[in-house]
Order: sequence, then structure tokens, then C-alpha cells
Amino acid sequence: MRLISRNISGNVLHPKIYFPFFLVVLMAILPLVPQNPFYGDIIVSSFFYGTMALAWNLVGGFAGQISLGHTAFFGIGAYTSTLLYLHYALSPWVGMLAGAGLSVLVAIGIGIPCFRLKSHFFALATIAIGEVLRFLASYWRGLTQGGVGLLIPFKPGIENLMFKSKTPYAYIALALMLVMLLICYVIRNSRFGFHLISLREDQDAAESLGVKSSRSKLTALIISVIFTSISGTFYAQYILFIDPFTLFSLGISIELALFAIIGGLGTVTGPILGAFLLTPLDVFLRAWLGGVSAGLNFIIYGLVLMVAVKYFPLGISGWVRTWYGPFLQKLPGGQRAWKTEEAMALSLVPARASDSGKEREKSPFFAVKSLNKRFGGLVAVRDVSFQIQKGEILGLIGPNGAGKTTIFNLVTGFIPPDSGQVVFQGETITGLKPPHQICLKHIGRTFQLVKPFKDMTALENVMVGAFARVQNAQEARKRALEILAFIGLTKHRDSLASSLTIADRKRLELGRALATQPDLFLLDEVVAGLNPKETEEIISTIKKISGQGVTIFMIAHVMKAVMALSDRIIVLHHGEKIAEGTPLEISRDKRVVEAYLGEDYLA
Amino acid sequence: MDITVLQLIINGLLLGGMYALISIGLTLIFGVLEIINFAHGEFLMLAMYAAFWLFQLYGIDPYLSMVIILPLFFLIGVLVQRVTIQPIINAPPLNQIFMTVGLSMVLQNVALFVWTADYRTVKTTYSGLTLKTAGLLISFPRLVAFLLAMGLIAALLIFLKKTYTGKAIRALAQERKAAMLMGINVYRTYQIAFGIGSACVGAAGAMLIPVYFVFPSVGSLFVLIAFVVVILGGYNSLTGSLVGGLIIGVVEAFSGFFISPHLKEAIYFVIFILILLFKPTGLFGRA
Amino acid sequence: MLKLTEVNTHYGDVQALRNVSFEIKEKEIVSIIGSNGSGKSTTLNTISGVLRCSSGTIEFLGKRIDHLPPHQIVDEGIVQIPEGRLLFPYMTVLENLELGSFSSKARKAKEENLKVVFSLFPVLEERMNQLGGTLSGGEQQMLAIARGLMALPKMLMLDEPSLGLAPLLVRQVFETVKAINSQGITVLLVEQNVFHSLSTSTRGYVLENGSVVLEGGGKELLNNPQVREAYLGI
Repeated sequence: MRLISRNISGNVLHPKIYFPFFLVVLMAILPLVPQNPFYGDIIVSSFFYGTMALAWNLVGGFAGQISLGHTAFFGIGAYTSTLLYLHYALSPWVGMLAGAGLSVLVAIGIGIPCFRLKSHFFALATIAIGEVLRFLASYWRGLTQGGVGLLIPFKPGIENLMFKSKTPYAYIALALMLVMLLICYVIRNSRFGFHLISLREDQDAAESLGVKSSRSKLTALIISVIFTSISGTFYAQYILFIDPFTLFSLGISIELALFAIIGGLGTVTGPILGAFLLTPLDVFLRAWLGGVSAGLNFIIYGLVLMVAVKYFPLGISGWVRTWYGPFLQKLPGGQRAWKTEEAMALSLVPARASDSGKEREKSPFFAVKSLNKRFGGLVAVRDVSFQIQKGEILGLIGPNGAGKTTIFNLVTGFIPPDSGQVVFQGETITGLKPPHQICLKHIGRTFQLVKPFKDMTALENVMVGAFARVQNAQEARKRALEILAFIGLTKHRDSLASSLTIADRKRLELGRALATQPDLFLLDEVVAGLNPKETEEIISTIKKISGQGVTIFMIAHVMKAVMALSDRIIVLHHGEKIAEGTPLEISRDKRVVEAYLGEDYLA
Repeated sequence: MDITVLQLIINGLLLGGMYALISIGLTLIFGVLEIINFAHGEFLMLAMYAAFWLFQLYGIDPYLSMVIILPLFFLIGVLVQRVTIQPIINAPPLNQIFMTVGLSMVLQNVALFVWTADYRTVKTTYSGLTLKTAGLLISFPRLVAFLLAMGLIAALLIFLKKTYTGKAIRALAQERKAAMLMGINVYRTYQIAFGIGSACVGAAGAMLIPVYFVFPSVGSLFVLIAFVVVILGGYNSLTGSLVGGLIIGVVEAFSGFFISPHLKEAIYFVIFILILLFKPTGLFGRA
Repeated sequence: MLKLTEVNTHYGDVQALRNVSFEIKEKEIVSIIGSNGSGKSTTLNTISGVLRCSSGTIEFLGKRIDHLPPHQIVDEGIVQIPEGRLLFPYMTVLENLELGSFSSKARKAKEENLKVVFSLFPVLEERMNQLGGTLSGGEQQMLAIARGLMALPKMLMLDEPSLGLAPLLVRQVFETVKAINSQGITVLLVEQNVFHSLSTSTRGYVLENGSVVLEGGGKELLNNPQVREAYLGI
């Protein structure tokens, strides 16, 4: 929040700030304009769908979990508040909270098992939830009057959330939307938001940076269903009639997704753009085509969805972004410089103060004892033991299929060993799951095939790493800038990761993991695929990192790099450790030569 | 065994055969292309309408109309795959999901527009015919449907096991790169698999119309069931879909009798959640 | 028979092959060696059509094949035995072999080819109805090679056939390669195991970081100290 208020106070006269305020004011005036209830209804609907689209986008866009069952929570909200109002005369303002509460419980109950499903199956599961609730509502006549629906008697008054004219409804809907918008904006620029987006982009990479995937997804879902549910209550008090088929309709779930996709999935304002564009369109379509065509508007929605998904996956907001910036610059004040928080004098990464724990000094810094792993009948790792000394660079080499990647995955918690132990700074960390725990223990890693968060800038990528240690976005930004300077990527800080060269992406991945302040840094094939010049550069970067006191454990195939960097080397072959020593010793070791070049090479 | 229980089991199996046929199409498509066709239910709906109109306009018995419907829906499947799925075969799952979701919306609402929401069914001379043996009542059309469904499933499994194309489909589902290297034409096999999956669900539609109603959104009901069957059976196992379908049919019969016919959706849902929590790979699935 | 000219292949942004050129003459056994990550598998996958080269040409028997889909390249007569065998685990040995003969001309000769293959690998005939995934490592390698032979290749490409095999089996694999070659099939071998591959080959190429850095006769390269440097970095 501090970041936002500072940005605002420093830059109030810049169009980036005042123009959106201007738009908000415009929206606030809008409900007062039309005399015709038809247009009034469009305005209310637009705001109302805007809220729901934003709420959907939190889960579907930010977190990347495609839910087609959000209608369930819409319905739960509507039915809960309505039933409480009809039977207990409970004000809808309170009823909406009850509805939200129930929705949250249902969401948790469903989210936990369903989040482990792969995307297609997750979507299908959410459809199932919506459908089941629809049937429940239809058949539980004692409670809901079934398909007949519930009629809410018209008793205008603010305590009943009912009004004679559309205008108060419009303002409530607008207020709700603005609150949701603000929440989305705050989330987007916060640690939570960075976590969500990193999860969407690459869950494995995110976990390795300390992101707790289950908890983050669930939190996003909870916030989303609260607002969807409240919208349901609002709808009930607006339309004054609810029935299962309208409320729990799959069409609504799809529409919400459509708004977000058309507007711009994963952006903050995209869903509003989508809702504002499509809602009036929908209302007009229904009015003109009226009784002639039940469902014609859905045919058009369906076609629009299919076309958008193939040809315009970024939605409108991608297009808007191209001219919005220059447009702002043309407004008065647009030429002013935008004051931002710059990092202080760019110092090197401060070495992490070592933990208290002199006791820890006695046990080895990192040790692997008798690790074993088989996959079916194949023994991948056989009785491997080794130690890593604090501050050294240990290289792990071996021919293809020797078991190097398996060792890495065993150490980083991606797969559990059959037997054996992994001990780090006196603590046994064998088989620690889920992977984000490893990051919390100050072990960082990179991936063989780099996994940049493509839709984020280089700076934002590193910030995800920084968020593993700090909560505050401003602090994270500062640290990220320092790291970028350290690894030499400052000039690319605002470039999307997808636009970087492979060498820069590898460096970005180093920086991102470095931001989590690891004591032990695991590098997986960090040199592969680079040309000689790039190889030199990354070798020097790694040496710099080592110079900061970070212990490094690296797998590599490019011998020149391994020899140049490692203090000691371990050689694996057929899953067993066959040699250990300095680079010079290893290059002369008969067994190593044979492992690589063939058993009879030296014969 | 109590006669009621036996009756319920029979009813359940007859119904389950339908479910199995619908689900097997879904599993086949997912196994080979790794996508879920969210419009699968709408293919069912379209097939039911097709059988209905063939009967209404030309007097063709629904079971006989399968001769037309099987190849027709195979072609429809191939066409849909080429036009809507193939272009986005490598796109992120989100795009794939919404492409078929959009298709499902379009098909449902075109049906609504063209044929209205009226419920329709086909009444043949044997629609109400019931066989009585050993104190059990067996609905004749359902029995015929069950036998046809089992026949088709058996034919499918034999096709996959014995013919080159069938083996190519299985190979592609098991190990894609090697399949490519063995000279299997991947894109063509995708089309064939999608076509077969659609033909299966089309046949199920023809079999259902004498014993059920068709209306534009009938697909969503069956797709939900198919989904539970697929998860129960194991999403990459065809035998799983067969057995799962039969089990779900029997569960429905029993829960309808002992609990309430209206709560069957809730029962499916409970089954679904339980499987996810305790055995996510399903009964026959391979990890 | 096979000619690559200035072939460049990318995986997304990563350049895996840089201006690779080499040729293979009929009836030869040619090895491509190099440490892991040097681009050996990428070369085979580019030839097979699994990967598309971004520039350069590939000619086979005078015909350009660089933009053909994988199944057509198999039709032309180039068959790859992939790294890690990649058998169809839930299909029997017999089914795996049958799948090898997918193209129509191979299908016609299926029965004959089965006889040839079984005489080369009698153990496969014994295990005809066992599931591919249940065979031992050595048997799987034999099945993979046999499966490739069923496609009636003019040129057979093997990607690290000795991977994960015990030394005795490794020797057997190379004996088999020689036997296949003596039947008139050209062989392109990609290996990390330098000794066996170079001793068996007519000629060899050494890849490092996606480029060809050395070439020469098989035995000649075996004695070349530069090969050892390329692998061990000194």
C-alpha cells in the first residue's frame, strides 16, 4: 500500500494517476444520466458483470486455474441471502456475508482435491460442481421451491437492498466493482500477486522459489468466491426472482471467462473492458433478436470465444496497451518524468549473515549418505555418498544416463529416495515435500531447460525470488534491482522475459534463484547451449556468486566449464560414484576416461 | 439373491452399457490427443436429434439408423478435429479448453434455435415391450441397446488390438515420439481417433433416443456422468471406461431405488470427490 | 547417400546445431560422437523430421528431405532407433515389431522380415508375447533395433544404443550393428562410448557444442588425442 500512496503523492499531476481517477468519476456520473430504465439496466449489468469478471480473473487469469463452475458460488450467494431474508427477515447486507461464508466453505472443500487435477480435468471438475449444485437446487424443493424459483416481495428500502429506481443499484454495483478492482490492483503489485502469476507461468519454477502453490491457489479462490457470492446476493435483490436454471447456468460461468479472455486474461483492467464491451452487446442482441432466437446471443458468444482463443489470445487489453501509453503522454502533464523508487547505490549482494549455530559448524555443510533410487527395474542411483564443503564449488559429471539429474531431483525434493539421507547444515532434509520447502531451507536451484516467467519482466522475475525473503513489494523491488545489477541485466529490467536471449535467460534464472538468498546453490546444466563467448560470461558470473560465499553444486556436461569452475568434482557412472577429486586428478583418472570414452579405450 | 436386487443389477447394467459407450469415446480422444472435447455431450445430443429426425421423416428405426449415424459422426469428428482442434494442438490448455467449450455453446444454442427446447423422443412399436423371465422384467429396447453397445465396444477393442490403424492409435497414445519414428502419420491418426470417439458417442445417441428424451441441453447431463465414469475407470484406460460405466449404471439403479432418483447427481459427485481423494488414477488407470 | 549442408537447428531460442555439414556414403558405418549436449541427438532428430532445421539442406539419395514430415522420411528409407529405446510398453514384443512395419511396402514383407529379425535375435522369438516394458535392458535394445529393421530401412540411425547396458551387452550391440551393415544397410551411429563406435565405423565426426570440430577415419580418430580433449576438457 505504501508503494501505491507514495506513487500517487509523488505523481498526482501525471496522467497515469489522474486519468484513471477521471474515468472513475465518469463512471460515477454515468448512472445519473439515462432516464430510460433500459439503459439504466445496461449500466447496472455492466458494473455487476465487471465485478464477477474481475473475481473470475483472479483465479483464471492470475493463477491460471480455469474454473467453469463459478456460477455455483453465484447461486449459493443468491440462494443463501434470499432464503435467510424470506424465512428469517435477515437483511441482505448480512445475508450476503452468510452466503459468502458458505461459498468459502464449499470452495475449500472442492479446491483442495481439485487443484491437483491437470488443467483439462480441473475445468471439467468445476463444470461438474456447477451442474451438481443446479440439480440440488432444482430437486430440493422443500428448501428452494425447485424449478419454480423464489420470488422476493418488493419492499424498497436500503435495509432490504431494494430500490425503486435503478440508480442506487448502479452505485452499489459500481462501489462493489471498484472495491474488487482495487483489490485486484493491490494483489497484482503485491507478493501474493507475484506468487499467483509465477504459479501460472511455471509451477515447478515457482515452487523452487518458495511459492506455496496449494495455499496461494486456495487464497485466490477464496477471495474470488467471496465477491462472486456477494454479486449473487446483489443479483437476487436486483431482479427479485431467482431460479436454479438461471442462477446455476453453465452459460454464466463461460460468460465470465469470456469477459476476461476478451478483455485480457491476467490483466487488472481487462475483465472490466470485456464486461463493458460485451454486456451492452448482449443486452442489445437479446432485445433486437428477442423472441425470434432463444439462445442466438449464446451462439455468437460461443463463436466469439472460439475465434478469440485462436486469433486474439491476448484480448483487447493487449491492443489497448499499445496506444494507451502514447495517449497518456499527449495529455497535459504527460511529459513529466515519472518518479519511482530507485534502488540505493547499487551495492553487491550482501553476504548473508551466517546463522547462529556454532553447533552446525561441526557437522558437514551438506552431505548425501547412501542414496538409492530405482525406477521399476532400473537402478538409477546406487549407494551414492558425498559431502560438500561450505564455500566450495562441487561439480557432478558423468556420461549420459549416469544418474546426475536423478541425484538433483532427490536432493531438491522432486522425488523421494528409496533409502539414504540428505543432510544440510545439520538438518535432515531427505524427501522434503513439497519442493517449496527446499527454498525455505536456503537451497536454491536452476533448471536445465530454463523456466523464465515469460509474461513478467526481468525485474518481476527476480522479484518473485526476492519475495521468498521479504513481504514488502518495495523492498523486493530494491533487492531485485541490486541482483539485476550484480548479474548484469539492468538494461533488460523492464523487458519481458520471453524477449531475452537464451544466455540472458540463464542469467535471469541465476539471479532469480540468487534473490532467495541461498546458502547452497544447485545449478543444473547452466552452461548448455551457450556459445563460447556466452560460456565465458556465465562462468565469470558464477565465480562472482561463489565469491559472495554461496556454496555451489553443479551438474554440467561442458567439460571446459566444469574444469574451470570446480574446486572438486564427483563422477557418476551407471548410478554409482566412481571417482572424486580435483579437476586435474579427475582428468587423469583411468576409470573416468573409460566411463566417457569406453571401457576399452585405454587398452 | 433377492429378486429386487437382481432386478436392480440388471437395470443398472443395461443403463451402464450406454454410459460405457459414451465414456469410451471421451477416453479414446483424451488418450491420443490429450485434450478433453467439451463438446462431446453436444455430439451425443446431435446424434439423438439425427436419429429422431431420421425416424420422424423417413421412418428409419433408431437402431437401424446407426448404419448412417456411425459413419456420419465419424466424419463430423474428423471435420471438427481438422478445423477447430488441429490448429491449436500445441497451444496452452486454456485455449484448447475454450475452443471446445465455445463449440459446445454454439452447438447447444444452434440446436435450441433450430429445434426449440421441446422434449422429443421416439416411440417405436417395441418401445414399451418388456420381457419377463424368471420373475425379472427386462425392457426390450434397453436390452437391444445394451447388446449393441457391448458389440460396438467389443468391435472397437478388437479394432484397436488387431488392425494396423488401431495399433497405431494405441502406439501414439503410449509413446508419441517412437510412433512418429515408426512412420505413423500423427496428424492423420489424431483425426481418426477423434472420428472414432465421435462415432461412439453418436451411436450412443441413436441407442438412447427410444428410451430417453432429447432436448438441446441433454448433452450436459450425460457428459457429467461420462466424466465420473472416466475418472472412476482411469482416464487412460478403455477397459476402465467399460467397467466404470457398468458400475456407475448399477450405482445409479441402486441409489435411485434406495435413496432417491433425484439425488443421483449428488451421488456421482460424491463418488467423484472420493476417487480424487483416494485413488486419483482410477480403478484401471496407469500413473 | 545422405548429405547435410550447413544445417542449423533451434529449440525455441537455443541454437542446437550450428552449420553442420557431413555426408554418408552407401554401405558405410559412420559415427557421430561428442559429449552430451553437443547436438548428436538433435542431428538425428533433424534428419528424422522430428525437429525442423531452421536453415540448410538435407539430401537423401539425391532428394531433399529437410521439410518432410517424419512418417514420410521413414517411407524414404531412413529409420531411427531412438535414445532410450522408447518401446511401446503395453504392447507385446510381436506388436512392437508389427508396428515397425507400418509403411505399406514393409507390411507386405512383414512375415519375411519377422523371420530375419528372429534369426538375428532369437531371444525375441522366445518372448514374443511378453509386454515390451517387462524385458531386460539388453532385450529392449534388441527389440528396438529389430523394430527399426522391420521398416525396411536403407539407412538405420541409432541414438546411443549402448546407453545403460552392461559391457558384455554393449559388445553384442556393436556386433549386431556390424551384422546389419553387412546385409547392405548403411548405418549412422550416435554414441558417447567412443571406443566401440569408432572401432566399428568406417568414418567418424566429432561434435562439440553443435558444430563439427573433427572428422576422419574411424581408427584414425580413435588415436587422435584431440578427441579426448573434446570430452574431458583438457
